[in-house]
Amino acid sequence: MLNIENYEAMAKLKLPDNEREWINIRADMLISSFAELEKINTDDVNPMVTVLDLQNILREDITVKMLSREEILSNAPEQYAPEQYDGYFQVPRTLE
Amino acid sequence: MDCFITDYKTGAALNSGCVVLEDSIMQKGRLTTAGSKILENFISPFDATVVSRLIANGKKILGKTKLNEFGIGRVSQDRPDDISGAVTAVADGVAETGLCNDFSGTVRRQAAEHGLCYIHPTYGTVSRYGLIPAISSMDQIGVVCRDLAAGFDILSVIAGSDPNDGAMYPDKVYSYSAASAAAGKNLKLGVPRNVLDLADEAGKSAVMEFAKQFDTAEECELKYFCVYSQVMYILGCAEISNNINRYDGIKFGYRTNNYKTLNDLYLNTRTEAFGLDTKLAAVMGSMVLSQEQYTPYYEKAMKIRRLIKESLEFDKYDIIVLPSGMKGDPYKQNALYALATLAGLPSVSMPYHGGGIHLIANVKNENALYTAWEVTKQ
Repeated sequence: MLNIENYEAMAKLKLPDNEREWINIRADMLISSFAELEKINTDDVNPMVTVLDLQNILREDITVKMLSREEILSNAPEQYAPEQYDGYFQVPRTLE
Repeated sequence: MDCFITDYKTGAALNSGCVVLEDSIMQKGRLTTAGSKILENFISPFDATVVSRLIANGKKILGKTKLNEFGIGRVSQDRPDDISGAVTAVADGVAETGLCNDFSGTVRRQAAEHGLCYIHPTYGTVSRYGLIPAISSMDQIGVVCRDLAAGFDILSVIAGSDPNDGAMYPDKVYSYSAASAAAGKNLKLGVPRNVLDLADEAGKSAVMEFAKQFDTAEECELKYFCVYSQVMYILGCAEISNNINRYDGIKFGYRTNNYKTLNDLYLNTRTEAFGLDTKLAAVMGSMVLSQEQYTPYYEKAMKIRRLIKESLEFDKYDIIVLPSGMKGDPYKQNALYALATLAGLPSVSMPYHGGGIHLIANVKNENALYTAWEVTKQ
């Protein structure tokens, strides 16, 4: 059975036991089905990242304003002293 | 509501021009939740490009409709898919058309089951700017509609290159038209025998009856059909797990009240807010992208994706015809819709002869699908 706790941590999740059990069972089923891939010869085949045959899509190096500071902060769960400062996202302390 | 609902059974114009948007498409000043608690309070700061184009063309947007969380199709029989809100709205005559992002095939299948059509356009023809991303290499906004004329009318409004979406063909405008039914009978159909053998009886009958309408319908084979679901799921989970990394409770969306440290905030926000299928996709995505599993799963799936696209015989056939339903669990059923999604091809699902059919054409050949529908109207 897959040890999903490693991958759970990578996905930044902390699953309750009942959900971990449900996911374990489904993950096992899915991984069993993935065994079919081994039967297909992919020697000398390049991976396909995108179906589009496009290269280096660039735009002019010109500053374009998309959203205002107010619009960006409008959905913030918590802001830091918005009356005093221009506006910052507030997060828990990260340094001791 | 400023749209007048008429009785669709009489054939009268039903809410002409009214469109509903799946709630993964942003409309300025309105909630856009993508069906997830993590975005339960997210108010869009801008319109998606498709919304701007609908408004500029005088189309009335009625509102938002529900979807599976992030559009993720369910793979387990104990958790069947919810019915798409857009399918319900169009089926009930509330709206004439609905826009959805249907990478999983859920909406295509449900549309046919409810007597509706779904147009899944060529990948790269409709802007994804303002669409909540799920699988970036497969996301494509399509149209659920009662008839394809209305659906292609809306598609011609929203399709076309957009400087805000770098993964698009350069064509600024697409116009869709159907040839006459008489000319349409010359379309060459490929009917994959290896898929038809797995179809349910209604689907098999629908495909055979449909093929009889055309002068040339030959048996063919979809060579890698047996691994479509697996390739779709591996690549899908990898990209979904990457795209949902942005939901951390910091800049927008749901934030847990239960935290002391930054790591607690991340873990508890995401654990409390994501649904079970999203968590499964996140865990599987992390697994297939991990160092030891990347080569046998993710890289292998990307290689098979190329083989799938290169194995298609659009030099011999104009349209590949599949049933819209198959025997087996939801995970296996997803294979019917995976081809168009994986290869970025246009497809249409529609009800036919008591069942449903799913038609796939080559890149930017939506007109072949439109013409095939004209033939069925005879």
